[in-house]
This record gives sequence, C-alpha cells and structure tokens, in this order.
Amino acid sequence: MTAQVMPGPVRAPIGRLLRSELRWIYRRPRTLILLGLLALYPILFGIGTQLVDAPVRANGDQSIVAAVAGNALMLPVIVLSTTMIFFLPLGTTMTASDALAGEASHGTLRGLLLAPVSRVRLLAIKAFGVAVVSAAAALMTSLIAFVTGLVIAGPGSLVSISGTTLPVGEGLWRVLLATGWVIVQMWAVGAIALAVSASTEHPLLVLASVIGGLFVFGLLSTIPVLDWMHPFLITESWDSIVDVLRDPILSENLVTGLLRAVCYIVIGYSLALARMITKDS
Amino acid sequence: MNTKKAVLAVAGTGVLAGVVGLGVLAIPAGADEPPPVLPQISADQLVDSVANAKIPALAGKVSASENLGLPIKLLDGIGSASVWSDGQNRFRATLPGKSSEKTFVEDGGTLWTWDSQKNTVTKFAHGDKAVEPGKLAGKDPATIGKEALTWVRQYSDVKVDGTARVAKRPAYELVVTPKPTERTLLREIRVAVDSETRLPLRLQVLANGQSDPALKLEFTELNVGPQDAKLFQFTPPQGATVKEATKGDHQPKDPAEARKGFQDMISGLNLKTVGDGWDTTLVAKLPGDLNSLAGKAQEHANGQGGFGGGRGKDFDVTSLLKSFGKEVSGPWGTGYVFSTKVATALVTTDGRVAVGAVPEQVLTEAIGQVK
Repeated sequence: MTAQVMPGPVRAPIGRLLRSELRWIYRRPRTLILLGLLALYPILFGIGTQLVDAPVRANGDQSIVAAVAGNALMLPVIVLSTTMIFFLPLGTTMTASDALAGEASHGTLRGLLLAPVSRVRLLAIKAFGVAVVSAAAALMTSLIAFVTGLVIAGPGSLVSISGTTLPVGEGLWRVLLATGWVIVQMWAVGAIALAVSASTEHPLLVLASVIGGLFVFGLLSTIPVLDWMHPFLITESWDSIVDVLRDPILSENLVTGLLRAVCYIVIGYSLALARMITKDS
Repeated sequence: MNTKKAVLAVAGTGVLAGVVGLGVLAIPAGADEPPPVLPQISADQLVDSVANAKIPALAGKVSASENLGLPIKLLDGIGSASVWSDGQNRFRATLPGKSSEKTFVEDGGTLWTWDSQKNTVTKFAHGDKAVEPGKLAGKDPATIGKEALTWVRQYSDVKVDGTARVAKRPAYELVVTPKPTERTLLREIRVAVDSETRLPLRLQVLANGQSDPALKLEFTELNVGPQDAKLFQFTPPQGATVKEATKGDHQPKDPAEARKGFQDMISGLNLKTVGDGWDTTLVAKLPGDLNSLAGKAQEHANGQGGFGGGRGKDFDVTSLLKSFGKEVSGPWGTGYVFSTKVATALVTTDGRVAVGAVPEQVLTEAIGQVK
C-alpha cells in the first residue's frame, strides 16, 4: 500500500489514499470478472426475452419474461431486482472481505494499522472502496440494461405497469431512481460485511456469513409465524423495487426500505468502527 | 486512549440508534390519537349532508379487510388500492399486485381498464352521459337520503356516536344499531363521515361476539386538493391488446327478450324474501333436488364431448356439503348450514336455499315457508 511508504509526520492526502484503494480493488481479477459478468447479464437477459416461444400463459397472463420482452423500462428494473439478491451482494461482500479480513490473512493489515493513518480514516477509506465498487456495479448493470431495452424494444416502449407510456427522460430518471435505491441497499450489505471483515482474519468467513445471512433472511421472510421479525430484515422491502414502475410511483414501501437500509448502514459501520479501534496491531 | 473511548462511545451510540430506528420502522404508523372535538350534529343533519356531498378533487388510499371466520381469507393478497378524483366526475383507481397492476381510468367519456399482467386494455366508450350522482331515479339526493333514513329507522337506531380520526382527518361516527327485537348476527354498522367534505371515510360491520370488525373498508390516506389532469387520461401503450366494449356487449340485442329470460330464471328459482328489516331472509327453490341438479350440470358439461354421461352419478354433492357445512334436520326437512360471523346459509337436500344475516333458527323458520 502506498500509505505505508508515506514519510512519518506528514499526513497522507485523503484523495491519494482513496485513489490507491480503488486501484487496489480494480486490479483484482475477481473484481473485473464479476463486473464483466454483470455487464453481460442484461444483454443476455434482453436477447433471451426475444427468444421465448410462448409469451402468454394458458390463463391469459403474461409471464414476467414476456412482459420484459417489449418493454425498455421493465428490463433494467427486473435486471436490478434479480441481481440485487445475489450478484450485487456477492461483489460488495467480496470487496469488503478483501478490504480487512483479506489484508489480515496476508499479514498486510498490520502494516496499515501501524502506519500514520488513524484507524477511523483507514476504515473510512475501506468503506469508500466498498461503496464505490457496489455503486459502480449497480449503475453499470442498469445503464447497460436500459440501453439494451431501448435497442431491442424502441423508445416508445417505456411502459409503466400502470399502462402509461413514459418519455425517454422520465424513463431514465425512473431507472436511475431504482439504481440509487439498490445502491443504498448494497451499501447496507457492505456495511455489515465490513463489520464482519473487521472481526475475522478469514475472508471466506465474511463471504459465507453475509451471503448465507441474506439467504436465511429470505427464508425467514417466508415464515408467517415470524412476521414480527420481518420488518427487521433488510431483504423485507427488496420486492418493492417494482414500485418505481408504477405511475405515479408508490413511494411508501420504497421510503421504508431506504430508511431500513440506512439503519443497517449505521449499525454496520458502528460495529466495524468499534472492532477497528479495539483491534491489536 | 481518550480518543479510543470517544470513538467507542460514538460506535455504541450508532449501534443503538440503528437498532432503535429499525424498531421504529417496525411499528405500524398511525398511533392512537385522541378523537377530535367537532361541533354537535344530529343524525338527520349528517345523513342529509352526506347525501348532498359532491366528491371533491382528492387522492387517497383505500384498504379493505375482513374477519368473517371463513377458512380462507377472502381479501388476502389485495393490497391497498389508490384512488384519485378531479372533482368533475373523472376518476382513476389502481389495484396494485405484487409485480403487476390493474388501472381504471374514467376520463369523462370513456372508461379505460388496464391489466398489466394480461397486457390488455379494455375501452368502454359511454359517451359524455357519465353517471350523474346528482339525479338518481329522478329524485334529488336529499330526498333519497331522507327516505332511506326513515326506512332504516323502522328497524334500527341511528345516532351520531362521537368522533374519530380516519386517515388523519376528523370524522363523525354514524352508528346504525339493530333494534333489540331484530334477530340478526350483526351488532352494528359504523360509518365514519369526514367532517369537512362529508365523504364516508370508513365503513365497519361488527358482528355479535366479535371485537374486530367483520368487514372494514377505509381510507388509510386521503388528501383533498387539485390533482394532475394527466392522471385522468389514458392512452393504450404500444404492444397492448385493446378490446372495445360497447353497451351492446353488456346486454342481449333485444331488451324485452333479455328481461323475459331474466324473469324466467327468477321465477324458476322461486326467489323471495321472508321477514323484514335485519331479519330479512332470501329463500329460493332450486329446480330439483341437490343430487339431480349436480347430475344435470355434469351432463351438460360432458354433453358437448358426447361421452361420459354417467359421470354425474360419481359426483356426490352430499358428501361435499357435509365437509363444509353442519348437517341439521327438523320438521322442514334435512339440510346443511354454513355459518360465518355475519351471515348464515341453509341448503336442504330437496333443493331449497335460505340466506340471511341471521342465526340458524331464523333460517329454519323461513325455509318452512318455501314449497
């Protein structure tokens, strides 16, 4: 790390630290492979919808794939809603596990903890890295999906599920809104992952516990007896991303989901901070 | 070391704040507020003002819930519907599904229905003669309101029972209670009327021996004020199937013939009411007994295929009824009773039917009058 070679008394400029962290992340082949897969996914999804033989089921209902086929607004949101349950949390958690646990397992974290960078600052830099990766991944995926949808179905096909046709600008705004919402959810996942990452030396443990935890949350939310617990689960409002497709937007559940994610971010970073500050160097 | 303690204190506060925040989000909004203080009003004045009220420009959310005591929840899975009005007889309503939506737009001349799951638009052009709530059956609404109130008062007590807050709006509670002589399962019907617009904001049907309303229909959100004109327009989207419905589709070509067919069906059923007020029971005589009816239905269904005519005999209606209802018998015959919190139905083996918001005993009395 460049932070290590900084001369003693001089404080390292924050911009340089952040840039170095990002360079570190984006040089990892696993990051690039995952981003590549995420970029391909909406294109394959878009082409795939054109190849469905039976767009209408026997009961007259459209399958969700058929509904996406001719709709440039639906494609990015459905792509986001399917990636946010696995691929995006995977990328976020992977980066978070490398950030602290990974460095600890290589023995490089010790150097960072001894370096003239305060631990709060170090955590902030790591958190920044995780946040940028998850935001960039989500934004890239949804924009590629939006363009794919426009190419396949044309600009007249931005149809909300309320049946209104939206102009391209309004459609793009909806897609960006959905993307921003997903990014905040991923930041919440990243905050928890970073807290786990700060408490262990095994990067795989971070990946297993966070991705496993998300699956357990998904399972718990299907058990009606535990409905008192459901509002505490971050995954609870992930279905409401389709509400951006309604016209006018049904904001109630989206706002609740956003606030829930913010609570998770606060809890995650507080735990990570407590662990960092008490860590032996 | 002081900074370390300070940072730990911040972290601890952060965890606590986050957990408390999640807890607050888990608590359903709309905590109990004291009922508002409103000027006194008599039941007659209130009913009169409701009958004269015009629907203003508004946006709101309506939710329905039931607690009828049926094995399945009828209204489960129906989220809260959103409604809009521009105050000039143009309306919009949406019924959201999990990842779909049904939209209804009344633009003043055409009623549009959109189903996102079927990707289908139904267009019903009714001209500009939209339903004018001002003139129903040639009477002005105030008269209708008065007549209805007089009729209701024969069997019930009508009074204004305090105030309530519905969708954060102050409202009067109008309560209709059956007279003690009425034999019904219902305890009371409560209607919350908005103090300002005089719109009914909430309808609750309460049954005997049940604290939760058996049926509840209410505004959970209501904002009165001008609405975006775009909400009341609809253009079928690209790629959607558009079906045109005209008035002709809803009724057969010759109205006289249609009326005759309907009358034949009704007279065939011997449909009539027994009792009055809250005790009113609807009774009917089906043509034939239960098993032969089921057999006929089966034959009809199978007849088009040209084979399998004997299947009707395999289908045992009695065992099906037994599994859902309770078997009862009396001087009037043998039958099965189906009860919910608000209504009871009785079907006899020889094909007589009685339905009403009454206990079983009233039904067995009524069914004796059917020949």
